[in-house]
Amino acid sequence: MKLHTAEVLHREAFGDHVLLRYRSDAPGGPPEPGQFVSVRPGGSTALDPFLSRPFFVHDSEGTTTSLLFEVRGRGTALLAEASELSVSGPLGRGFTVGGDGPALLLGGGVWVAPLKLLSRSLSRLGVEHEVFLEAPASAPAAYGSWLSGNYPGAELVPTGGAPDASRQVLDRAGDLSRYSAVYVSGGREMLVAAREAAAGRVPAQLAVRERMACASGACYGCAVPVWSGGVRGHARACVEGPVFRGEALAW
Amino acid sequence: MVADLRVELCGIPLRTPLIPAAGTLSRETLGEAADAYGAVLPKTVTPGPRRGNPPPRVAEVASGMVNSIGLQNPGLEGFLRELGGYEVGLPVFVSVAGDTVEEFSGLCARLASEPRVSAVELNLSCPNVEHGGLTFCAGPESVERVVAACRAALPGTPLFAKLASEGVRENSLAAEGTGADALTLVNTIPALTVDPHRREVFLKGGLSGPAIKPVALRSVYEVARLVEVPVIGCGGIASGTDVAEFMLAGAAAVQVGSSSFVREPGDILSELSGYLQGAGLSAAALTGSLRDRERVV
Ligand SMILES: Cc1cc2nc3c(=O)[nH]c(=O)nc-3n(C[C@H](O)[C@H](O)[C@H](O)COP(=O)(O)OP(=O)(O)OC[C@H]3O[C@@H](n4cnc5c(N)ncnc54)[C@H](O)[C@@H]3O)c2cc1C
Ligand SMILES: Cc1cc2nc3c(=O)[nH]c(=O)nc-3n(C[C@H](O)[C@H](O)[C@H](O)COP(=O)(O)O)c2cc1C
Ligand code: FES
Repeated sequence: MKLHTAEVLHREAFGDHVLLRYRSDAPGGPPEPGQFVSVRPGGSTALDPFLSRPFFVHDSEGTTTSLLFEVRGRGTALLAEASELSVSGPLGRGFTVGGDGPALLLGGGVWVAPLKLLSRSLSRLGVEHEVFLEAPASAPAAYGSWLSGNYPGAELVPTGGAPDASRQVLDRAGDLSRYSAVYVSGGREMLVAAREAAAGRVPAQLAVRERMACASGACYGCAVPVWSGGVRGHARACVEGPVFRGEALAW
Repeated sequence: MVADLRVELCGIPLRTPLIPAAGTLSRETLGEAADAYGAVLPKTVTPGPRRGNPPPRVAEVASGMVNSIGLQNPGLEGFLRELGGYEVGLPVFVSVAGDTVEEFSGLCARLASEPRVSAVELNLSCPNVEHGGLTFCAGPESVERVVAACRAALPGTPLFAKLASEGVRENSLAAEGTGADALTLVNTIPALTVDPHRREVFLKGGLSGPAIKPVALRSVYEVARLVEVPVIGCGGIASGTDVAEFMLAGAAAVQVGSSSFVREPGDILSELSGYLQGAGLSAAALTGSLRDRERVV
């Protein structure tokens, strides 16, 4: 666990959704899309709350990094107010980017976070791609316009929070065999539905979350059920993930 | 003046008194933390591979965490193939666990012929399948059986018995009496977390982190006065002064677990160094030098 001090530069709130931009002089190259950072309030050695909180890198440019997160409990509430952070990362294995295109990007809820960097990487490589995002029913209107601005060309699918919301987003994307690759970062239902729809037709990469303690491969806390060599096992989301190939997951 | 951080444990010189607690060291990031440690101690190894428990496996609680990992590991042979990844110029201690006394002694017999292993730690907080799933450290008779068998299988290598806080006095005497060279005190404390919204058990596991420090400290304090063998303190150590407190209470070395997930071990060591400089003491001189007060009961 290597920690770096970061200074919060900018903060914007859309209801419970917070966009936080910080600057850190941590060494290392730019993050891969789908990688995450593990964050705690900075400026103190107090261990309260005890664990750091994992978040996908939403955007990154030079020494600045942005996170997009939803305030859920005490940890995220404190981070939403913090002016200094203690950050570890970028961590884990992100999306494998490449191929001929067209690629499909599916996002839902706050989990759309890593798709911004992914879309930019694909564009840089000249890989044509389509983006469909489930527009959260509960979020304020400002968030919707912010999403449109930040995911240019993305189609926002208003699902009204219906139980089959993931299905509706998938249906909008149409026949998956049209795509050369599918990238998914959404709620559990969306991951499950997209993985099933893509199986045997198109390679899918899914951004999977699990509860973490160390975020560095030490504790084996972030177990994700996977197939390895034909047998069921557990991979660590923080080092072998958080992005997994659809067929590798033993869900 | 730079503080003298060196200590000795069962004849093994350690550069610093910090050792990673079993199950909390990452092979992937060992290189970053190695400077802080006096020895390397990887996750508990069992005879065969174990898949571990399904998620969720960790939960945060006030001042700590609860875990239920289920000893996920590649098994002894798989571990030995990966052992090179733990060699960073420090002594390597290996934590082992089995379902039965025979499995424990079998692991020790195999490690006895492994020159890269400087010491073996018995994780006695795992369930004894032959005794209705009570842990191996549920009582002194059980501790005696497993430690005696392991001692016989591992005549020439230092053997540590790692115990829980419950029954720690009797169990420590039992382990020392049957040949343990050191005692690691303590393992996690049984704990439960509940999801009140779903009205479900969230996690049944072991509590660790600063929340258990006073309990661990009391175990070290009592046992260090009771036994001749060195005590390795473990439980909630999160700062240099925490290390000093455990050593004052009688620990010859310490293990840092959960806090290494949220602090850099190098920072903990710097704090210890600062403390020692302020006190004009070496690390080794701390051990057991705690003054008692009449009011302590
Ligand atoms: C790889 C990864 C990437 C993530 N990226 C984002 C992101 O970009 N945006 C975002 O809003 N959220 C993200 N999350 C989820 C985020 O980490 C949790 O919402 C956050 O930790 C909740 O903390 P809290 O203190 O507010 O909630 P509490 O419920 O009080 O947290 C208690 C404990 O549970 C853990 N926890 C609670 N909910 C989750 C969850 N859904 N996933 C993992 N751990 C959880 C916390 O980390 C903490 O240890 C990500 C999680 C992972 C594993
Ligand atoms: C995630 C996790 C995994 C652990 N795995 C093991 C293990 O494999 N073997 C073992 O003897 N103890 C294990 N422990 C217990 C620790 O080694 C240590 O005894 C305990 O956590 C108390 O120390 P701490 O408060 O510094 O974490 C584990 C603890 C944690 C938090
Ligand atoms: S969070 Fe500890 S191994 Fe992934």
